[in-house]
Amino acid sequence: MSALVRRLGLSLVLLAGITVASFALLRVMPGDFAEILLTQQMDGEMPTAEALDRFKLEHGFEDPLPLQYLRWLGGAATGQLGTSFHSEDPVIEELVLRIPNTVLLAVSSIVTSLLIAFPLGIGAALRPGSLFDRAAMMIAVVGMATPNFWLALLGMLLFSLTLGWLPVSGFGTFAHLVLPSLVIGTSLAGVTARLVRSSLLEVLSADYIRTAHAKGLKRIRVALGHALPNALVPIVTLIGLQLGKMFDNVVVVEAVFGWPGIGRLFVEAILGRDFPVIQGCILVIGVAYIVINLTVDVAIRWIDPRVREAL
Amino acid sequence: MRAHSVPDRSYLLLGGALAFTLAAPLLAPNEPDAFSLSLRLQGLSLEYPLGTDHLGRCVLSRLLYGFHVTPVAAFAIVAVAASIGSVLGLLSGYVGGVIDQALMRVVEGVFIFPAVAVALTISAVLGLGMGAIIVSLGAVHWAEYARVVRNLTVTEKTRTYVLAAEALGASPNWVAFRHILPNVMHAILVLIPFSMSWAILSFSGLSYLGLGAEPGSSEWGLMIAEGRVYMRDHAVLVLAPGLMILSVVIFLNTLGDRLRDRFA
Repeated sequence: MSALVRRLGLSLVLLAGITVASFALLRVMPGDFAEILLTQQMDGEMPTAEALDRFKLEHGFEDPLPLQYLRWLGGAATGQLGTSFHSEDPVIEELVLRIPNTVLLAVSSIVTSLLIAFPLGIGAALRPGSLFDRAAMMIAVVGMATPNFWLALLGMLLFSLTLGWLPVSGFGTFAHLVLPSLVIGTSLAGVTARLVRSSLLEVLSADYIRTAHAKGLKRIRVALGHALPNALVPIVTLIGLQLGKMFDNVVVVEAVFGWPGIGRLFVEAILGRDFPVIQGCILVIGVAYIVINLTVDVAIRWIDPRVREAL
Repeated sequence: MRAHSVPDRSYLLLGGALAFTLAAPLLAPNEPDAFSLSLRLQGLSLEYPLGTDHLGRCVLSRLLYGFHVTPVAAFAIVAVAASIGSVLGLLSGYVGGVIDQALMRVVEGVFIFPAVAVALTISAVLGLGMGAIIVSLGAVHWAEYARVVRNLTVTEKTRTYVLAAEALGASPNWVAFRHILPNVMHAILVLIPFSMSWAILSFSGLSYLGLGAEPGSSEWGLMIAEGRVYMRDHAVLVLAPGLMILSVVIFLNTLGDRLRDRFA
């Protein structure tokens, strides 16, 4: 239990770090934030020096930085993240609109990758050195080396433009979800399949597996019922890692398919230097990252009693 | 004191790849930037083996010149990452104590953070462009180097050659960089091919989104982005650069696996 408390403490430190970094973003960005804000409020008219000074004083831009940070943090906690430089909509509204879409894509991508990786990995581990093993590992190697955005275009070319089975891009129906999930899923499945194979092979050489075989149990029953649960810990760790880094995939794939999620919002904000939106996205990514990693920690303790007792 | 040496065949592979990368532009049949709108979107021909793009530029020549864009950018990214990581890892492992504890917590955090997102943010602050993205991608990729170098340094610093150097009055800097670093170098080298793969995939992906290489460059990801509109009738514009990235990354991963098997 104390280990979990320690992790929680570490997460809080991380959260503090992420909020400080987000806050700092608007202070280190090119250009004077106060000036940009005031110009925006005056409908694009350049403010005079006196007006700018008054604005800075009124809105606390002259206060010490720690005080400004705390004030910003209070606002952020209640959803006040400022307005976008471009659309002039509140950032929080944009985020709330898009978070569910990205979560949907992330979850369906992970599920897709597991649906590909487990059959390949288990099959390969059951008959190491066989043709299936070599083919599966070849697929894994190619999958790991394929650029996401390129695979996305190939998928579009084949399934949308040539065969007409799926929509080219967009959002709304299940059909829209298929290609993006397949693209991210296959890119993650390579590593997972390799790990399923190697950790299953390691467990399969244990004494208790030989005992199970000696009892006369079926091969497949031993592999799935006895070996797989013990091979799961490194795999769950990897899945957690992939979920934590999911944003790197989502950024590219959402942009390619026009998927209205956080990733596309982020890329558009970066391209347009829309710093309040960038800040909001970074906060969302950071919090998601902390939640995911804590969840993985708990999940591993739940799966493996040895980890629970060791800590 | 070199306990390990790279196996001969890996040397050969690496040498061949380097030579090809350096010589690639010499093999180009045409000027990569020579454009002619009357020759746009040509099919495959003897003069243009892979046809021409939407500006009438020779696709094959651009691909070959691309060897001096994408892999070079990736190498720069890895150089930044490996330098930061190795120095921090040496410091952490050799000094130990609180510094070590703190740095390793940071490494844990950085290692699993969505790196591309952070790199994009840094490069937005730096003002975007190719230089900014190279520095940013390098700056988020150092954690693995730091971890590996640190763990090896912790064991190396108890070896007699280090103790001897210390007894002779060598400064900590001298011991770390002149004695320990050469002996952990093999571990750094093993990481480089995998890092290069990651850097190539990330950099070309960002170029595809318009956040990496500048327009006009023969960067492979950018070429794919430019060819996307014509993909339906001229698939080669998208297929060829993608296959280029794919084969380079597979080559690097294979090289990395070989090196790792040798040293692990």
